[in-house]
Amino acid sequence: MTLRILVVEDEMTISLLVEDMLTELGHEVVDLAMRLKQAEEMAATFDIDLAILDVNLDGHKSFPVADILAARGIPFVFATGYGAAGIDPGYQQWPVITKPFLIDDLRRAVELLAPPPAAA
Amino acid sequence: MVAHPAAKDEHPAFSGTGEMGNLIRRFDWSKTPLGPISDWPQSLRTVTGMLLLSPVPIVVLWGADGIMIYNDAYSVFAGERHPQLLGSKVREGWEEVADFNDNVMKICMAGGVLSYENQKLTLVRHGEPEPVWMNLDYSPVLDESGEPAGVIAIVVETTKSVLGQRRLRESEGRFRALTNATSDVVYSMSADWKEMRQLDGRGFLANTESPRIAWQELYLFPEDREYIQSVIDEAIRTKSVFQLEHRVRRADGTVGWTSSRAVPIFDESGRIVEWFGAASDITQRRQNEEHLKLVVHELNHRVKNNLAMIQAIAMQTFRKNTDLKDAQMRFSARIVALGQANDLLTGERWAGASLRGAVEQAVRPHCPEKDRCVIEGDDVTLSAKTALALTLAMHEMATNALKYGAWSNSSGKVSVSWSTYLKDGAKRLRIEWREEGGPSVRPPDQRGFGSALIERGLAREVGGEAKMEFLPDGFVCRIDASESVYASR
Repeated sequence: MTLRILVVEDEMTISLLVEDMLTELGHEVVDLAMRLKQAEEMAATFDIDLAILDVNLDGHKSFPVADILAARGIPFVFATGYGAAGIDPGYQQWPVITKPFLIDDLRRAVELLAPPPAAA
Repeated sequence: MVAHPAAKDEHPAFSGTGEMGNLIRRFDWSKTPLGPISDWPQSLRTVTGMLLLSPVPIVVLWGADGIMIYNDAYSVFAGERHPQLLGSKVREGWEEVADFNDNVMKICMAGGVLSYENQKLTLVRHGEPEPVWMNLDYSPVLDESGEPAGVIAIVVETTKSVLGQRRLRESEGRFRALTNATSDVVYSMSADWKEMRQLDGRGFLANTESPRIAWQELYLFPEDREYIQSVIDEAIRTKSVFQLEHRVRRADGTVGWTSSRAVPIFDESGRIVEWFGAASDITQRRQNEEHLKLVVHELNHRVKNNLAMIQAIAMQTFRKNTDLKDAQMRFSARIVALGQANDLLTGERWAGASLRGAVEQAVRPHCPEKDRCVIEGDDVTLSAKTALALTLAMHEMATNALKYGAWSNSSGKVSVSWSTYLKDGAKRLRIEWREEGGPSVRPPDQRGFGSALIERGLAREVGGEAKMEFLPDGFVCRIDASESVYASR
């Protein structure tokens, strides 16, 4: 099942990597946000199934984006170099993948939120 | 000492045993103004008998000359002057304090009394002048006519106790100086720590000048008290040093940290009578430690991020290149470019980086000759992230120029220029990479990492556009960046 995914990642090279990984997993990257404000706008308006959220966006935490997504009922995965310890207590029910990660780590995290029909 | 035969125990004029009793009885008084003992007035005999019975150092100074008669205790005080002092004139026997004694004689022979406490005098002892302190009491001795005929002096040397007290004062002074010299807070506690007796806060903590029961309320935060009390209890139980780093409420009410250490002071029976402690202000050290923790945490994040970037570069480099050797070279060069970009940013402590610096660093090392590279534009400070992205993009363009573009022949040039402009009140930045004089250009068959980086990555990073044009005259890349690329701090 092809998911429509928003990638929020402020590091250019990493954003390309995540985009390529998701494409390889058969998903569609709707867009890529590198700044908090841009990410908030996209999270609020885009027609998406899921989002991958970097936690630190050039010094700003991306939790406001998480709040917008949660309010819209859109699930998301945190991707961060801080690991689970860098996630605020209110968001610990969401999957976290620690950078650097493998394509399988990303696949598992996405499947946790949007199980493929066969596994459901 | 020559004994006078006439004085030989024939005159039990006064009782009195000991050395001085015998010496006085045997002394040839006929050579003195007093004359032989048999001629002494009863008053002199009585006072001599009295002083010989006394354990206190006493001397009688008889007549206008003050002829000296003294007891055993006084002979000890007289030291090496004894026994020559016996029967001598006071002003001669104590030559160095003749003026002092002259005054005594004048006052007392006129019926007055004198009393000195810890009077300092300089006496010659062992051939050297030496300061001594004495309690001196002088009173007249009346003869049968009721007139003063001599002076009785009770002489108690207090040198030892005066010096002892002085040493004690000095010791206390040194102790005070020590506690003043240290910047530490100094405090004392009752044996059970229920009462703080005194605390000198040094501006760090509030002072406690008189005993205080509720000291914990003043100095400690409620949530810390149970633990601190448990350490105190343990120190009391084991009668050992109390030592703890803990939070304190500072004099200004804010949270501080102290390293506190107190030692018990015991009485003769080994019971603790009080505790004496010193506490240093380690607030700054604690803050530094906290800051260091944050820095380490942040560093870990950056390392992880850098590893992810290297992973991304590796994936991009190796997936699209079929030539492994070429891919390895490209990969290495990209990692080197990433490393150099990090240097640029570290120099600015990640607060931002100079656009010119970033361009120079990415482009210059590849430029075949100095004048084949033109870099133009007024410098601006970019955010660390943008500078890093731009450095990587420039690296890609420079290596391409060297391989296929303007730097692949002997005369082509690359110019990198930039300028700022206003659009809808926002200060945007335009950067242009332009190659000319190279071999004729045709678009590549396949888009590589460089293209992806510039068109997909850099465009988003700068919040604008990044367009690559493979014009016949040479490759051109135009970057139109939004206001977000400038360093915010």
